[in-house]
Amino acid sequence: MIPSWFLGACSFLALHAETDPHLEQYQKVIQPLLRERCFACHGALKQKSSLRLDTVALMIKGGSGGPIVLPGNPGASAILARLKSTDENERMPPEGEPVSSKQLQALEKWIAAGAPAPANQKPEPSPADHWAFKSPVKADPGAPGNPIDAFLSKAWNEKGLQPQNPASKTLLLRRVFLDLTGLPPQEEDYRAFNADQSHDAYEKTVDRLLASPQYGERWARHWMDIWRYTDWWGLGAEMRNSQKHIWHWRDWIIESLNAGVGYDEMLRLMLAADELHPSNPEKLRATGFLARQYFKFNRNSWMEETVEHTSKAFLGMTFNCARCHDHKYDPTVQVDYYRFRAFFEPYQIRTDMVSGEGDFEKDGIPRVFDCNLDTPTYLFARGDEKNPVKAKKITPGVPDFLSRGFVEIRPVDLPREAYEPELNPLVKENASRAIKEKVGQKEKELAALEKPEAAGKTTAKEVREKKIQAARKSLEAAGLELKNVEARWLAIRLKALGGEKEKVEAQALAAARGEKEVSAALAEAALLNAEVEHLQAPMDKKAPAKTKMDAAAKALDAARKAVEKPGTTFTPLRASLKTLESNLESEASRGKPFPKTSSGRRTALANWVASKENPLTARVAVNHIWLRHMGSPLVETVFDFGRKGTAPKHPELLDWLAADFMQNQWNMKKLHRLILTSRAYSMSSSTVAREKNLANDPDNRNFWRMNSRRLEAQAVRDSLLHLGGKLDLTLGGPSVPAAAQETSPRRALYFFQSHNDHDRFLSQFDDANVLECYRREESTLPQHALALFNSSQAWLAAEAINTRLQKGLEKASDGVFVSRLFLLILGAPPSEVEKTACLEALAAWRLQSSAKAPTQDRLLLIHALLNHNDFIMLR
Amino acid sequence: MSFHGQNSGIARRAFLSDLGHGFTGLALAALLHQDGVSRADPSLPWSPPNGKPHFTPKAKSVIWLFMNGGVSHLETFDPKPALDKYAGKSIAESPFKSVQDPERLKLARVTVVNDANGQQRNKIYPTQVRFKKRGQCGMDVSDWLPHIGGCADDIAIVRSMYTTDDNHGAQTEFHSGRHMLDGEFPTLGSWVHYGLGALNHNLPQFISLGNRVYWNLKDGHYLGPMNDAVPIRVNPANPLDYGQSARPISEKDQKLGFDLVGKLNQLRGVEYPSDPSLAARIRSYELAFRMQKSLPEVMDFSRETAETKKLYGVDNPACNDFAMQMLACRRLVERGVRFIQVQHGAGGAGVWDAHGGLKANHSSNCLKVDQPIAGLIQDLKRRGMLEQTLIVFASEFGRTPGTQGSDGRDHHVYGFSVMMAGGGIKGGAIHGKTDEIGFHAVENRHYVTDIHATLLHQLGLDSRRLEVPGRKRLDIDHGKVIREILA
Repeated sequence: MIPSWFLGACSFLALHAETDPHLEQYQKVIQPLLRERCFACHGALKQKSSLRLDTVALMIKGGSGGPIVLPGNPGASAILARLKSTDENERMPPEGEPVSSKQLQALEKWIAAGAPAPANQKPEPSPADHWAFKSPVKADPGAPGNPIDAFLSKAWNEKGLQPQNPASKTLLLRRVFLDLTGLPPQEEDYRAFNADQSHDAYEKTVDRLLASPQYGERWARHWMDIWRYTDWWGLGAEMRNSQKHIWHWRDWIIESLNAGVGYDEMLRLMLAADELHPSNPEKLRATGFLARQYFKFNRNSWMEETVEHTSKAFLGMTFNCARCHDHKYDPTVQVDYYRFRAFFEPYQIRTDMVSGEGDFEKDGIPRVFDCNLDTPTYLFARGDEKNPVKAKKITPGVPDFLSRGFVEIRPVDLPREAYEPELNPLVKENASRAIKEKVGQKEKELAALEKPEAAGKTTAKEVREKKIQAARKSLEAAGLELKNVEARWLAIRLKALGGEKEKVEAQALAAARGEKEVSAALAEAALLNAEVEHLQAPMDKKAPAKTKMDAAAKALDAARKAVEKPGTTFTPLRASLKTLESNLESEASRGKPFPKTSSGRRTALANWVASKENPLTARVAVNHIWLRHMGSPLVETVFDFGRKGTAPKHPELLDWLAADFMQNQWNMKKLHRLILTSRAYSMSSSTVAREKNLANDPDNRNFWRMNSRRLEAQAVRDSLLHLGGKLDLTLGGPSVPAAAQETSPRRALYFFQSHNDHDRFLSQFDDANVLECYRREESTLPQHALALFNSSQAWLAAEAINTRLQKGLEKASDGVFVSRLFLLILGAPPSEVEKTACLEALAAWRLQSSAKAPTQDRLLLIHALLNHNDFIMLR
Repeated sequence: MSFHGQNSGIARRAFLSDLGHGFTGLALAALLHQDGVSRADPSLPWSPPNGKPHFTPKAKSVIWLFMNGGVSHLETFDPKPALDKYAGKSIAESPFKSVQDPERLKLARVTVVNDANGQQRNKIYPTQVRFKKRGQCGMDVSDWLPHIGGCADDIAIVRSMYTTDDNHGAQTEFHSGRHMLDGEFPTLGSWVHYGLGALNHNLPQFISLGNRVYWNLKDGHYLGPMNDAVPIRVNPANPLDYGQSARPISEKDQKLGFDLVGKLNQLRGVEYPSDPSLAARIRSYELAFRMQKSLPEVMDFSRETAETKKLYGVDNPACNDFAMQMLACRRLVERGVRFIQVQHGAGGAGVWDAHGGLKANHSSNCLKVDQPIAGLIQDLKRRGMLEQTLIVFASEFGRTPGTQGSDGRDHHVYGFSVMMAGGGIKGGAIHGKTDEIGFHAVENRHYVTDIHATLLHQLGLDSRRLEVPGRKRLDIDHGKVIREILA
């Protein structure tokens, strides 16, 4: 019960809230302290000992141990005793350093002053009422036209903001080109756009760009940031993180975006294509998302990253905070973390053979599969892997408060070609192709030896004959190997398809014998070569050569005996190679058969994540897309939509977009189009003549103008090449190795990038961190200046642009040249003063001796303009 | 990732960083820092660092020397006669059996499961070098480090360090305070850079010298790329990335270009008067131009006297490389660079990683760094700069008292040494202690972040006041100042 005198005091204080220093102290020091240190256990999220500290009234009311604040009586207030206690078991809060003496004094004084509370103090809202945990609904935009503008107009009107005028036509064109393709318009694009006077000229451009293959590349790079794309890294050829040939996943992203695959379907495939489409190699590429998480040295770390980034990227949730303890802000308890981990527990990675390449080091599709179906998941006490709680196996599941749309897990029976990929004739074809190449090679070697001129003058006849014999044997071995591939494949196939026992055995015998015959032929060739060496050895080296020869003879003997007793085991043909689970796994266990069923866990997870009932997924995606068009997100904490995250700037707008996105089958192109055709998108980023707005909303929270943005590293570099007409627009393929990047004409998203390898030029411009990049940094550093002024890339671009522009402009005046250049590089014509500055510079360069060649001065001007702030900005 | 946006304040902070800290030299920094002391009220809402120290600093600059691979404390700064006495015996047979108590070994946190290295080594391996008492203080320093030994009265040794990563991820751990499996966190140098303003407007304030590979190629992490170290080479012809034009261009032509860019950018201010990045861009170009001009001069040693060069060992082929770097350090500090991070022997696990052949390995590596480091200390001292320049000599961990193979030592996290000098550190001081075989730190134990705390303290910074909202740091991240070694 709250004493009546206190209520009186409250109302009295409420009147004087502005001036009461104790109340101010509560609001500025005490409540923030309690929020920081106490609310997680004694607040809306949890009420340990039935106690809440989120309002003064609740503290006075107290919990099961009675009131903790007695206004006017700090000595008897339990809160102070607990905070001050020297007994570690007694002292609150149980974690972290004790509350500082300064803070304690503040609390004491405040209680002594009667513990004044703000008027109408409300307790913290219930976690279930958190905006992001409720399904988004479409509110009435209240006006016709683009709903984005309708919602924003409301805000503009309420805040007295006057929306900025539209950007110039050319700047808008540059903006939409870079936004959708990552490449600036060319001169002819500007000309065509300026010439098109139809009412929907802009809309047509948007549609054309959305339909261009460069759209997929541009947006793939964005999603690669969020989904943590990285090429593999390790030591030498040893792979430690991500996967070799992970670029297949990157190509899948590009192709899916270009094909307009729904966002929900993309998430489903990334999490569970191996269960949903087990025989479809194109779709299996999607699971690169999980294959990328591979970390050879530590499975726990691998699982932790998988949980953390699946939840941050897809759900905007920081489940990782609950690894060691219940979440301090969201209603996620520790066991939820391990339930989420359990979805991933069985999965491992393998590389599936692709047509035309039998060597897994050279190519193959890294994809996931459920390998260890029985591996239990345990909760780790305090998150410490050394302390698993083995009494209880954790089953996969999602937190209760988010469980809408979650359907039960059903194991998936896999088709035979998924678990016995060797049945695919591809494996035989690839192996045969490689051996045929070998046969050809051996034939050439033999022919070379048999040529009379190969005899030379000094080679003894005996040596030459033996060399030829050895080459013949090698060729014979290759021929046998070719036959043996066929035999081995048949044996595997016969056995897998359940042929008659005798036939299976006979074929196995044939395969085994054939393989031994290959070995015997090779051994014979080796002996012949050893004999050659012996013959050629100088006298003092004869002894070791003899030893080698004897060993080769012995080996041949053994190989011949093996042919007589070949047994029925032979080297299997691999159509899919499992990635070592860790540095502990042996080659033998790596060759174990693949399971015939998959747990179905990831399918259940995928369906829940991509469910329309999931309140988070669409909102998170819409926010990411909005950010990359508008330069500022609707929810600042793009990976945390939980209670610790920030509230949306325009909740109705976000919800409308999210709901609409889902109604449109998660069609990203429709969403892009909606944003790009809004008035908000078309506005100028200038603040001129909107000084009042600047005072009311300096950070443009209400999108009363466009935000200027710095181009991402890849867009800066690609723009340089593209303006000079030097960019190779080929789609997809293996990543460009680090050594070739500086001079590569490929788009930068194809550059090999990993923990170890970074392109030097891209690194200067806040390139994505491969570990985590939910949003690119936009720094302004002197390194940008150095890279743009001094790099070979910038100079080559300037030269290429010069060559292009000079065609037909050799005789044109400098003024015309400057105007063309401004439009091309900056998307806007020069003002008179800008033009004058350029003309003066040209004249000055001409006076200086170094710019002798007729186009040199113009080259220097182009180079300078590539260093203009607005070249690397999106205005 | 370094996204740290939460509210509008952040956008402004990023701008301030560009201006004040990202690269020094910018107007705001000049207004705010230098020798003033910031007096922020901790009860006020968070605001970005303003470039002033939080309290009166003792030191202005830091030279951070990091020996990659793991230096044996037992053959450098922490002599253990018991190793010789019990050489060849297993630890279990020796009187020091208790060091292997499993409870005490729990400290190590495994990164590489079932690693071939980072194991317990049981057979006690004798000390591979003799020690001598050095200086007035009589500090023991091994014969592999005679020159550093000659500076005994100017250096302090902390013999009771420990860390937790039993593999070379401990390199990142020493720089960031966090185990590699926890993720990537800002390094010490980036915190200093973030917290303090510039002393020179023509040079980057946080510099990295020496090869940096394998681990932690960046520093700023969530503090942003403006707080990454700028890699510099000791090569006057090409001291920094993109520091010279890929296409020959005269200085006059280039200057015209820079000037034109500056002018055009300023003219854009008419249309974008309130764009902070435009202002930052203009300044960054000015700084870039100055940096490009200044650095070759810093790396040009032609005006150093022969005597000075000799002091560092520049003339000695055995240690020439590191000598050049140390001399560059002095020249950089002289010109007001805040933090120089020098990596010695990075590549693979690091050259100090003596799993086998420890004697050959360490004697040769010591030879490479000993005279240059001692030269640096002496040179700074005679120029009156040592008082304001803090030198740290460290490696990711020590090496096992037991032998690996026949003649190596393995990684050892439980006890090892760090050497410090200058910047208000007490000379001739030995602090902390390992047990009789150098296994566990037993007295005044210090985790690696205690070195961070000590260094920040000397620079006048309180790491708790540098925290970024939404990036809560743990107590262990902050560390504790080692007051016993302060002068």
